[in-house]
Amino acid sequence: MWRRLVSSSHLKTLGRLTAPPPCRSASGPARLLRPPPLSASASHFLRNFSDSDSGVVGNTAVKKKVEDVMPIATGHEREELEAALEGRDILEIDHPVGPFGTKEAPAVVKSYYDKRIVGCPGGEGDDEHDVVWFWLEKGKPHECPVCSQYFVLEVVGPGGSPDGHDDDHEHH
Amino acid sequence: MIESQRHSYHLVDPSPWPISGSLGALATTVGGVMYMHPFQGGATLLSLGLIFLLYTMFVWWRDVLRESTLEGHHTKVVQLGPRYGSIPFIVSEVMFLFAFFRASSHSSLAPTVEIGGIWPPKGIGVLDPREIPFLNTPILLSSGAAVTWAHHAILAGKEKRAVYALVATVSLALVFTGFQGMEYYQAPFTISDSIYGSTFFLATGFHGFHVIIGTLFLIVCGIRQYLGHLTKEHHVGFEAAAWYWHFVDVVRLFPFVSIYWWGGI
Repeated sequence: MWRRLVSSSHLKTLGRLTAPPPCRSASGPARLLRPPPLSASASHFLRNFSDSDSGVVGNTAVKKKVEDVMPIATGHEREELEAALEGRDILEIDHPVGPFGTKEAPAVVKSYYDKRIVGCPGGEGDDEHDVVWFWLEKGKPHECPVCSQYFVLEVVGPGGSPDGHDDDHEHH
Repeated sequence: MIESQRHSYHLVDPSPWPISGSLGALATTVGGVMYMHPFQGGATLLSLGLIFLLYTMFVWWRDVLRESTLEGHHTKVVQLGPRYGSIPFIVSEVMFLFAFFRASSHSSLAPTVEIGGIWPPKGIGVLDPREIPFLNTPILLSSGAAVTWAHHAILAGKEKRAVYALVATVSLALVFTGFQGMEYYQAPFTISDSIYGSTFFLATGFHGFHVIIGTLFLIVCGIRQYLGHLTKEHHVGFEAAAWYWHFVDVVRLFPFVSIYWWGGI
């Protein structure tokens, strides 16, 4: 798998620390399972989870909801937690992986807007080169000047300009 | 993706508290200097500055609590900031107190002729380390154990127990402070009594000040725990308070050994 760099790819390191898919038990003990470690900070403590004070017995077949893990979660923290429990990486569009992009099978980079900064590190092993950065725009495939890797943008959000200056409608 | 924001970070809203804190600090420092020199109005300015500074701390940290617990801005990566930032802060406090303990050693290890070439200086009636200091040290250490108890209670989801543990911690801390205050009151020497008095009261005094700050921090944590802000996944504020408290705890051992015990014999 060739990796490609996009801006803010350093978030990938933190993304890796979020939860693997939640474990489900087969039929068996009624105790709540130890929830997956949700972050580097959380995994610093050794934890022995016991039932909460209300004495709720774990439902072994039901997937964990945000309420089970952190009842008072709200806002962005809640979104992050929800995604972690579902095994989803919220920022997965920031670290795309895939085979070397060619004209026939271009490397697809997803973007929330109509253009995005992308960095090409080259191919595998000996084919690597210093990262070349460029704007990848919708409808304008780009070829890396060093290794000719072919990139194409896929808009997965509302589109428009990333700096928001093309908005005719008013919103925050 | 975090639809509303596209990144996991917290870009804070504009706030007046940094400037109000700066103005408070300015008033405090200028007022303090005026107070200590023959200028009119120094005391007023100093007290106004301190009040303003305390008010800023209150409203600033209240905003942090609102943004984190009530609005959910503190994602995992945002939590790393206060978490890893507390550590250099505590280290800086250690450096600050280290300076005063070094001053004490500097004077005590090679006592000058003005004080009789001996330590403690001639005429100083030192406090018996086997009395109140020997009691206060385990009081503080037990409060450190109590805060660890509180932490485990929070991690286990035992919310009521965590409140009790924090109450225990704070009570022990207040008892410590009370005994220290009593000792200060009854000490046969004052801060003006030669270099012994100066180093003793500055080192133990600033340590005591940090104990009071730590106690306030823990009281706030206790209130938050009671209100249900702290969860077993997310309690960075409590951890910072606990780390600070352990630092205060450990620091206590240094003056006890060097100033009270060694310095008294």
